[in-house]
Amino acid sequence: MGLKRLLIAGAAVVLTALPAAAGELSFWHAYAGQQDKVDFINFALDEFAKVHPDIKLDVVAAEQSAYKTKLNTAMASGNPPDVFYTLPGGFLNAFVNGGQMYALDADLAKDGWGDSFLESALAQTSKDGHAYAVPVDVDSVVFWYDKALFAEKGWTVPSSYDELLALAETIKGEGVVPFALGNKDAWPATFWFQYLEMRLKGSGVVSSFVNKDAKATLGDEATKALEHVAALSSKGYFPIGFNGMGDQEANMLFLNGQAAMMLNGTWQIGASADAPEGFKLGYFAFPTVKDGAGDQSDVLAGVAATFGISQKAENKADAVTLLKFLTSRQVMTKYVELRKTMVTVKDATTEAAAGPVLFDISSKLMADAGHLDPFYDTAMPPAATNIYQHLLHIAPGRA
Amino acid sequence: MSTSKGFGNSHNRAALLFLSPAFLLIAAFVAYPVVYAGWLSLFSWDGASAPIFQGAGNFVRLAGDPIFWRALGRNLLVALSAMVFQVFLALCIAYCLVRIVPAFSRIFLFFYLVPVMVSEICIGLLWRFMYNPYFGLVNAAFGALGLDGLKRGWLGESGTAFSAVVVVMSFTYLGLYVLLFVAAVRSVPESVYEAAEIDGAGHFTKFFSITIPMVGDAVRANSLLAIIGSLKTFSLVFVLTNGGPNHASEVVSTYLYKMGFGSFEMGYAATIGFTQMLLTAIGAWLVFRYLKRAGVGGRT
Repeated sequence: MGLKRLLIAGAAVVLTALPAAAGELSFWHAYAGQQDKVDFINFALDEFAKVHPDIKLDVVAAEQSAYKTKLNTAMASGNPPDVFYTLPGGFLNAFVNGGQMYALDADLAKDGWGDSFLESALAQTSKDGHAYAVPVDVDSVVFWYDKALFAEKGWTVPSSYDELLALAETIKGEGVVPFALGNKDAWPATFWFQYLEMRLKGSGVVSSFVNKDAKATLGDEATKALEHVAALSSKGYFPIGFNGMGDQEANMLFLNGQAAMMLNGTWQIGASADAPEGFKLGYFAFPTVKDGAGDQSDVLAGVAATFGISQKAENKADAVTLLKFLTSRQVMTKYVELRKTMVTVKDATTEAAAGPVLFDISSKLMADAGHLDPFYDTAMPPAATNIYQHLLHIAPGRA
Repeated sequence: MSTSKGFGNSHNRAALLFLSPAFLLIAAFVAYPVVYAGWLSLFSWDGASAPIFQGAGNFVRLAGDPIFWRALGRNLLVALSAMVFQVFLALCIAYCLVRIVPAFSRIFLFFYLVPVMVSEICIGLLWRFMYNPYFGLVNAAFGALGLDGLKRGWLGESGTAFSAVVVVMSFTYLGLYVLLFVAAVRSVPESVYEAAEIDGAGHFTKFFSITIPMVGDAVRANSLLAIIGSLKTFSLVFVLTNGGPNHASEVVSTYLYKMGFGSFEMGYAATIGFTQMLLTAIGAWLVFRYLKRAGVGGRT
């Protein structure tokens, strides 16, 4: 008897776990586990329920890394959610290649939806001329420094790579680590390599790889860029044992004034919120490299998150409505305000929402950039990324 | 006797019924995944598109993959260090606790057990701080002793990362074996020791000639436990170094994880996992056979 009851209970659990019933839209996202993310999604979904009370959502949330596995599993088993959060580049392209993503071209062409996005951002969610997802936010990489510390020591912001090296030597001489770097997870050092490659050779290398251009090659400039990184390491400009330190530990060095500068993404603004009294976060662009063939104003900036629709979704009109709402200027400005991250919707990164530092990056650095080059490690297929990141573990050598 | 062997026997039916939940759970969560992993290891699959049949391709690739073999070699080193610094050391400690300082055995046992009770992830994070080259306790201790030359980025240098991880492993798992051995050493009859004392045996003789042979079963069980644990070790390596820098502390499980959930090469990850399982089973069987033949432990 007990067994029977158990079976019934089990069946009930299985039934409730099944995908949403007809008329409902299943929506998966990774805005969980972090207060600013949760605040944002709660705001967006509450507003959506007010504006579109007729569209019922079946929402599933998971924390970023768990989410990636969860989404991959769902896609692999052929039960994808209707609307979902996904990463751009290689992660998204795997789904596109599997024919699982709904092409948004026709919808983007209507009502100026497509024009509301930054062109360079939409390009990062497109493949072979078709957009398969809409971009949400964009991160760019710059040098961060403590204005107060620089003023106290009389250090000045460098504008060329040679000046940067000279400054690093001065800083090292005063017993401070010139550049904070926590390369345990191998992505932080990739910024150094990619920026040098962009300055020496130019942007677009990664796009040609992603588009399977047979002639795509890293070239001699890549070797040179790696040599530069190795030189920085052998001169002791990075912390001791940086290949075993996490990004957070590097951040502690930076925020405590034990390291002077840090090449990192715009998420550094959020990470610096807990800085000790007197810390004043400033930024400067990656300096120009003499005789570099690349456009010296290029910025390393990649789309961090996107939303897409499954090819299998039954109610695509409602799904598009949800996407349009999520990427509306109103919701996106709130996103900037809560998360202190730039968004890809034009004019949504307002000064009031972004704060002075982020607005400055968005309105000057990003606006004046010749090209925005996406992050190699998210743009490439996962397997290539793994090899690429390990390259950056070897290159700086023994610290 | 003959009646109890028949399936018709009501006692047997009841016994089978009681066994069936465990059997079903094992079938669903152990047997099925193992078989599925074996099946998946014949394919290349990125988790999204349709799997592509590879035949033995993945196994050929594995055979020629230096990172895998080096990782497996490190697993064996972990097993060796576990035998010395966990099993043997734990037996020595257990002997001391029971035979030499029985009055303090409870309090010492408690301290040895603390790391066993704390989750491995917490221990890993704690040690990451201790190893931190700038604010870590390890470098600070060397500094205090005037040994500044020994300060280094323990987890970040290829030369020290793996040893640093092994130290943490020994620290973490030692207490479990101490606990198991204390129980075993206590069960050795007092009369044997008394007889040995009359013959003039010291602690050294008593330890090697009485304790080890008398707790042979426990030695064998704990060795197996340590070796199996070493061959599938994951969490401490994952938290401390994630196999880095540049695979310098990679073990099979972290490599499997990277292939599966970093590169999304699910088929190849399944190949690694399946091979690891086979090698672990063979290794465990060999150890069992060897220890049995070596006469450690009387009956089997």
